[in-house]
Amino acid sequence: MNLAVYRVILRTQLSPARLLVLAGLSVVAILLAFTARASDDTVEVATRTIANFGINIFAAFIALALGSAALGNLVEDRTLVYLWLRPVSRHSIATAAMAAVVTVVLPILVVVMTVAAVITGVGELVAATAVATALAAFAYSGIFVALGLRFKRSLLIGLGYIAIWELLMSRLGDWFARLSIRSYPMSILSDATDVSMRLADRSTLASYIVPLAVGLAGLLYTSWSLTRTEID
Amino acid sequence: MVQAAGVSKWFGDLVAVSDVSFSIGAGVTALLGPNGAGKSTMLRMMCGLAKPSNGSVTVLGKEPRSDVAVLGRIGMAPQQESLLDHLSGQEFVELAANLHHLQRPAESARQAIQTVELDPDDPRRLSTYSKGMRQRIKLAQAIVHDPLVIALDEPLTGLDPRQRREMISLFHRLGSEGKCVIVSSHVLDEVERFGSRVLVMAQGRLAAEGDFREIRNLMDDRPLRISIRTDQPRELAIALLDRGVISGCRLEGTDGMVVDTNDAAAFRRAVAPAARDQDASLRELRPLDDDLESVFRYLVTQ
Repeated sequence: MNLAVYRVILRTQLSPARLLVLAGLSVVAILLAFTARASDDTVEVATRTIANFGINIFAAFIALALGSAALGNLVEDRTLVYLWLRPVSRHSIATAAMAAVVTVVLPILVVVMTVAAVITGVGELVAATAVATALAAFAYSGIFVALGLRFKRSLLIGLGYIAIWELLMSRLGDWFARLSIRSYPMSILSDATDVSMRLADRSTLASYIVPLAVGLAGLLYTSWSLTRTEID
Repeated sequence: MVQAAGVSKWFGDLVAVSDVSFSIGAGVTALLGPNGAGKSTMLRMMCGLAKPSNGSVTVLGKEPRSDVAVLGRIGMAPQQESLLDHLSGQEFVELAANLHHLQRPAESARQAIQTVELDPDDPRRLSTYSKGMRQRIKLAQAIVHDPLVIALDEPLTGLDPRQRREMISLFHRLGSEGKCVIVSSHVLDEVERFGSRVLVMAQGRLAAEGDFREIRNLMDDRPLRISIRTDQPRELAIALLDRGVISGCRLEGTDGMVVDTNDAAAFRRAVAPAARDQDASLRELRPLDDDLESVFRYLVTQ
């Protein structure tokens, strides 16, 4: 990884607008946690809340907003040339972009959702939430960093992917669910609390391996794209 | 230092560069051509930013597209104005120095910024920079690592006349130090001051190459139509015909005429003395087809 590139991309990650959205999502997560705690079936409601909001919405959207912008903004404003023209490996640029995204997404998401899990009062959910959200963030970041480099309207395409594939198509059957990222971290939550959820029936091993593999695949695709893409 | 062999580049149906071959050595070389002639695409291929659809471009014997190491010997200032606007000038150039693995990046960046007459201690972000300052900071990041090949895409745009002079003298200094400096421009008179070697591109093809004076003479030899406004058009027309510098003349109203000349240089030399001899005052001299497009069209047909 190239540290200079990492620092440059990291500085572009937190704009005031994005901070506002992050703060808003964090507040919603905490409020939902209190609501789950007050419910009659705390374990089930808390597990579903963490899965539906923390993974399906918070992790996916924060990774999309920051991941697609990491290299996507440089492509869009035609400044990628200032990184590309240097004698540094394309893989180190891709790794730096991914690391910059993960540096922001991971702590915010994991800390907020873990605090939310603590607030629900369901002890077995706390560690599972930290792991599940971290894996979801990594997988989504890998996909969206690659998407940002590959497509000009990556934010819109990413929104379409989350809404159509992750939230709708994944419900159509087991094979669709297997190709949905969210089903794997949701399975980790389900395993921890024994709460049965639709999509959350992946094996324990797959629940850990697949999100990591997806994130790495996204990173490798980004590296490969950087060697192939024509820089404007 | 830079070699292009049968290079073509197309984007779908659009042919941006067509079968261009040339070789460039040390010194300043101007890449001249109208907008859309393929100059920027050619420079991008030289720096590895784009891959030729056909043919090959090598820099110092290596293909910059596939050999990342050779990028350490190339410096480029792209045409676009956009910069990493959240950085200061020093941070921007220091980033380039860091990525070129320089021993003392901060010091090298300061030096490069001072070379282009900017202040390395200026804390402002690049987003606040004027067009001229942006051009100069682009140049600073292109030279910070002391490259052997420097490609500058329309680097004088937005500079005032004094800054232009300074930049041109910097190009010459870099060229005289043995570096290969390639400067693209669509302004004919600007190129005249870059140096003697010129590559002329038009419609994606290499229309001419060689010494600027030869190409300028070729341009001057072409038929040229000039509009003249004067208080004595009839007398001036006769005087110019007598001197043999115009081949035809058409009077327009009481104070205007359009003349045809086959020797623009001779016409330029003769028109003022002819007007003085006739006691005629020249109010306007306007070439009717001296835009670059017409010059290049003419060169392409030669």
